[in-house]
Amino acid sequence: MNNRFKNEYLAHASPRPESGWKAHAKRIMSNPLGQFGLLGLLLAITQLLNIAGIVPRSIMTTIAFVSIYSIAAIGFCLLLGYSGLASLGTAGFMGLGIYLCYYGLQEWQISILPAFLIAGIASIVIGFVVGFVSLRIEGIYLAIMTLALSEIIVKLLKTIKGSTLIIRGVNLNFFGIPLSNNAVYFTIIVVLVMLLVGTANLINSPTGRAMVAMKSSVAAAQAMGISLLKYRLLAFIISTLFAGIAGFFYHAYLPGISPTTATILTLSMSLNILGAVIIGGAKSLWGTLVGTFVIYGFQSIFLQNIAFFNENPAFMMMVTGVLIILVVMFYPGGFAQMLFTLRLWLKKMTKKWRIYRYGIEE
Amino acid sequence: MALKNKVMAYLLSKYVDFLTQRVTFYKSRTSLYADFEVEHLKDIDDAANRKIELRIAKNARLYATADYEASDKKEVFEGTSKLQIAAYQKKLRMRYRIEREKARRAIAKLTEEDKSGEQIKLIDQNLASFEASLAEELEAYKAKRHIAFEKSLERDLSKAKPTAQELEALKSRLTADNETYTAAVNAKREAKRAKFVRSNKARIAKLEGKLNNFQAKLKVQLERIQQDSYALPEGVILRAENLCMFFGGVKAVNDLTFDVKQGEIFGLIGPNGAGKTTVFNCITQFNKPTSGHLYLRNRLDEVVNLNKLAVHNVILQGIVRTFQNLEVVKEVSVLDNLLIAAHRQYQSNFFVHMLHLPILRLEEKVIRARADKILAFMGLSLYRDWYAWGLPYGVLKKIEIARTLMADPHLIILDEPAAGLNDSETVELANLIRRIRDEYKCTILLVEHDMGLVMDVCDNILAISFGKKLAQGSAKEIQSNKDVQAAYLGAPEEVER
Repeated sequence: MNNRFKNEYLAHASPRPESGWKAHAKRIMSNPLGQFGLLGLLLAITQLLNIAGIVPRSIMTTIAFVSIYSIAAIGFCLLLGYSGLASLGTAGFMGLGIYLCYYGLQEWQISILPAFLIAGIASIVIGFVVGFVSLRIEGIYLAIMTLALSEIIVKLLKTIKGSTLIIRGVNLNFFGIPLSNNAVYFTIIVVLVMLLVGTANLINSPTGRAMVAMKSSVAAAQAMGISLLKYRLLAFIISTLFAGIAGFFYHAYLPGISPTTATILTLSMSLNILGAVIIGGAKSLWGTLVGTFVIYGFQSIFLQNIAFFNENPAFMMMVTGVLIILVVMFYPGGFAQMLFTLRLWLKKMTKKWRIYRYGIEE
Repeated sequence: MALKNKVMAYLLSKYVDFLTQRVTFYKSRTSLYADFEVEHLKDIDDAANRKIELRIAKNARLYATADYEASDKKEVFEGTSKLQIAAYQKKLRMRYRIEREKARRAIAKLTEEDKSGEQIKLIDQNLASFEASLAEELEAYKAKRHIAFEKSLERDLSKAKPTAQELEALKSRLTADNETYTAAVNAKREAKRAKFVRSNKARIAKLEGKLNNFQAKLKVQLERIQQDSYALPEGVILRAENLCMFFGGVKAVNDLTFDVKQGEIFGLIGPNGAGKTTVFNCITQFNKPTSGHLYLRNRLDEVVNLNKLAVHNVILQGIVRTFQNLEVVKEVSVLDNLLIAAHRQYQSNFFVHMLHLPILRLEEKVIRARADKILAFMGLSLYRDWYAWGLPYGVLKKIEIARTLMADPHLIILDEPAAGLNDSETVELANLIRRIRDEYKCTILLVEHDMGLVMDVCDNILAISFGKKLAQGSAKEIQSNKDVQAAYLGAPEEVER
């Protein structure tokens, strides 16, 4: 029997402890595995919708490439935002991944897992080299050195193999099981989520704090026992490894379709990744994802639907460029800073509106 | 042959390094689990208490339900009505305030336009009538409540009211239930505690076994290598012998020799450019000395040659320092600054960090508890989660000192700790330095220009100028030394004028 007065009395006399769903949601959202797991779930559902026919192929391709570039951008976020080391070599490190994927699958005809391991090991070795270089050189000169290294790598690869890389025949196979395009997409999502969670964990761990200390004050870091060599090496190895993985999946996703794979490996790709991290917020992982989407996905998904841009395609690049300029001019902390400022502004506006509507109570 | 000997010696030194690292690892793990015991027991207690509280609340609610049924419902109704009517009044008040604001704005607009009081009176009348209508609404609400209550009383007449004995029985039953539950939970808690303490002790015993194993091996190996160990006299913790630091042609430190005794507060004074900070940089190996020896007696009573250490390993011997231009990491919180200082106390490797395995959570818990204790000691608990970015200078200085305490110091080097502090703050600093020396049982070296602080706090003072030693001794001796007066302090006649 639902007695309103009894319930009123009980609510005052013996209050019940708080019940759960909000607390549970908060716990999931505050845990990196929860946050990025939900993102991965969302992306996987998009692919299932594509298989069902609701989501068109072009959007899937864009999302896949945005995820691939995000993998490289996350490594770069750790390097730039948390370790404070500048590197313009992302194109070369991705190129290494692309070419090793091609070699593994077409030339040497090995299955995908060994090829992946080879690409990973090669990236780690290159990361080692760059890490040692970074002890001697700092700031923009380090960026120039990494740019030089990446140009050397790309030129070397092009001279050996050329710019046209096509994997003919179905030889994407994982221990004998032939892999379709959809399976590669799911692998990309899984790898993206794993790396996101790993990086988020790293940031909130002693290693992440050591990197921030190294960025902030070299003398204090050394006095507190943080070896510069070790953490610079670690930062560069992670960054090049992530870029190599991204390159590997770049070629594994559309193996037989892009004949000019290697022509994208220029300074502009490195600068795009740099731009993605900066407009997202150098210290924010979610911001990096949003930034990568803005640079690589915004055009294809949103702008191409507007008739004006369909007729004048050059204006699409302009919009992206103007967006980057505005963000860097007014919100140098990127989208993360924008969100924070937005929240503060909303609080202030709510307070102002309250005073407008209700007046000040004396 | 010589090559083979060299290779063997190199391999042996690497093996000794490995053994030392293992010894440090196991020592750190044993102390970690010992500290973790305290924390985890607290957690077990908290969980048990929470359970008991929930059960008691549940039983209280059951009793309150029965109590309501048995009570004189009219009285209870009066009590809760007061609260409900107050809440309704608040809502009505908000509506009134909206109207009042509208009226105010209308009046503000009007007073620009017409000066006659008519419009204003009209608006005030409207507001008063609105207030009256709200009062009517309140009365209607009260009346409605009464009617609904009467109706519910009629409905309840058919139900049986629990008698006083039934209530007593219920109360005793619930109290008994409370007690049994508490007893059960406490029993479980004791069992959990005992089990945890047992397993923890077993774990610690196992680790100590491994530790002793490695320590024995290390002793064997150390006896094999001919270590030219320097003999420091008893009570001396740091000796600098013929220390020279030349930056090209500039002789920053020129043939300096001094001893620092254990547990004392040692001051280093001299004019600007005398080489004081350079001396500290040499001790902490930030600059490798051009020549000269530096010997430290570490916590294990061994004599360590500091010149052989890399700059990031100096903290392992217990030497910590502060910086003249505070090098606090502004991008992270105050607590994170202390955790950075405890970096070498984390024995987990990079993969544990990437996966956030449970051992990392354990280490974090223990080290965070220690950091909280130190923040309380320094009086910084308010700033615990604040970013270090906008904090005032005095607080940043305290963070800098708290960082040195975090690393379990054996020798603390303070580089101009009183810079930028006024007289009262300097007195506080002197007291703090003495408290730190007493509580952490460490030695303190400091560079300072504030002679009041130096003469007050330091047991032993070394005066240098242009990299050379002028005098060493107690405060009185330094004050009356002619060379020091000429170079730095000023002769007594000048002070009197």
